[in-house]
Amino acid sequence: MTADQEKFIADVVEKALAGDMDAINSIEDRSVRAKAKASLVKAKRAAKAQQKSDAPAESDSPNQQETAETQSPLSILLNSTYPDEIIEVLDEGKTIQLHPKQWNEIATFLRDHPEALLDQMECLTGVDLGTEDALQVRYNLHSMKHRHKIEIRINTNRDKPEIPSVETIWRMTDWFEREAYDMYGIVFTNHRDLRRLLCPEDWEGWPLRKDYEEPETYHGIMVPKVKEGWE
Amino acid sequence: MGLLEHKFQDNVVVASMDKLLGWARSTSPWFFQFGLACCAIEMMATAASRYDLMRIGMIPRSSPRQADVMIVAGTVTLKMALRVKKLYEQMAEPKYVISMGSCATSGGPYWQYGYHVLKGVDLVVPVDVYIPGCPPRPEALIEGLLKLQEKIQAERPLTKKIA
Repeated sequence: MTADQEKFIADVVEKALAGDMDAINSIEDRSVRAKAKASLVKAKRAAKAQQKSDAPAESDSPNQQETAETQSPLSILLNSTYPDEIIEVLDEGKTIQLHPKQWNEIATFLRDHPEALLDQMECLTGVDLGTEDALQVRYNLHSMKHRHKIEIRINTNRDKPEIPSVETIWRMTDWFEREAYDMYGIVFTNHRDLRRLLCPEDWEGWPLRKDYEEPETYHGIMVPKVKEGWE
Repeated sequence: MGLLEHKFQDNVVVASMDKLLGWARSTSPWFFQFGLACCAIEMMATAASRYDLMRIGMIPRSSPRQADVMIVAGTVTLKMALRVKKLYEQMAEPKYVISMGSCATSGGPYWQYGYHVLKGVDLVVPVDVYIPGCPPRPEALIEGLLKLQEKIQAERPLTKKIA
């Protein structure tokens, strides 16, 4: 791009930021117009970032700002009741990592405490962290009354993955846990009906684990594609 | 053979019975109504009023015992493969299989990493007509069905038994 062009684009972007989009839209050359639009987006983003970094400086007490950023009302509540069970608070207090031991008790607390009332299990996800030799379960909880959400993460080891089931606390969890068991082999202790959900009952292995190996045959049927004279 | 015996050359009557049978079979191939994935939606559209499979004598039947044609419409998982095979075995002879869409034909997009997908329904049941497409348009399905009708019409069931 020549210096002339750059100057032209900078001019047009300035006009557009002031509200005159016609300056960009009326450019004849398509490539120049695209470049101008790209630099407009860039300029807008930079302005936004600038605003954000300015904001904390304006607040009166930096300490309060700090706690509000790393904690949410729910994580503060949990921290005051079960301080030993919390491993880590992430994502401005929207995500909390817990020890698996007292999970059942904490789950009941989160559902019934009037300030939490997390009465809905939105989603349960299994994760294979791979490198850390750990499997993880993430619970996304939501409160119909307070309209707040929280994510609970619980880690377990790969060799003997066991997490207490919360199937009787949120009935939604029944099939969620069966699916996580099906895909990752995570055993949810005290689940009343822990069978595979999607795979056949005689399936071997846990398909979504990173160390899963595809079976060669299933009931005498070849599983990998047999390539005959092509490719 | 009674009346017609020695009045014609050998096999004349038998051959026309063959044709009659072929015509009767080919013009009313009732298909087994079951779908496995998105191809089933297209199959339903084909059976509905715009494309109207009834024109070529096809009526969906809910039981394998009443069906002549099985349209395998969709991805066949390994869990389903055993059941598809069982359903095929429950159909009465003569029976035909149409593999509809690339999933049923070869595993489709799951041919490489689909650990639970059957790589072609011809691994468990014999297939008469393959229809390419993902999913095939109703016109393609009808084309496949007409090809199947040609195939049925060309058969000589009685001649085969004598020979």
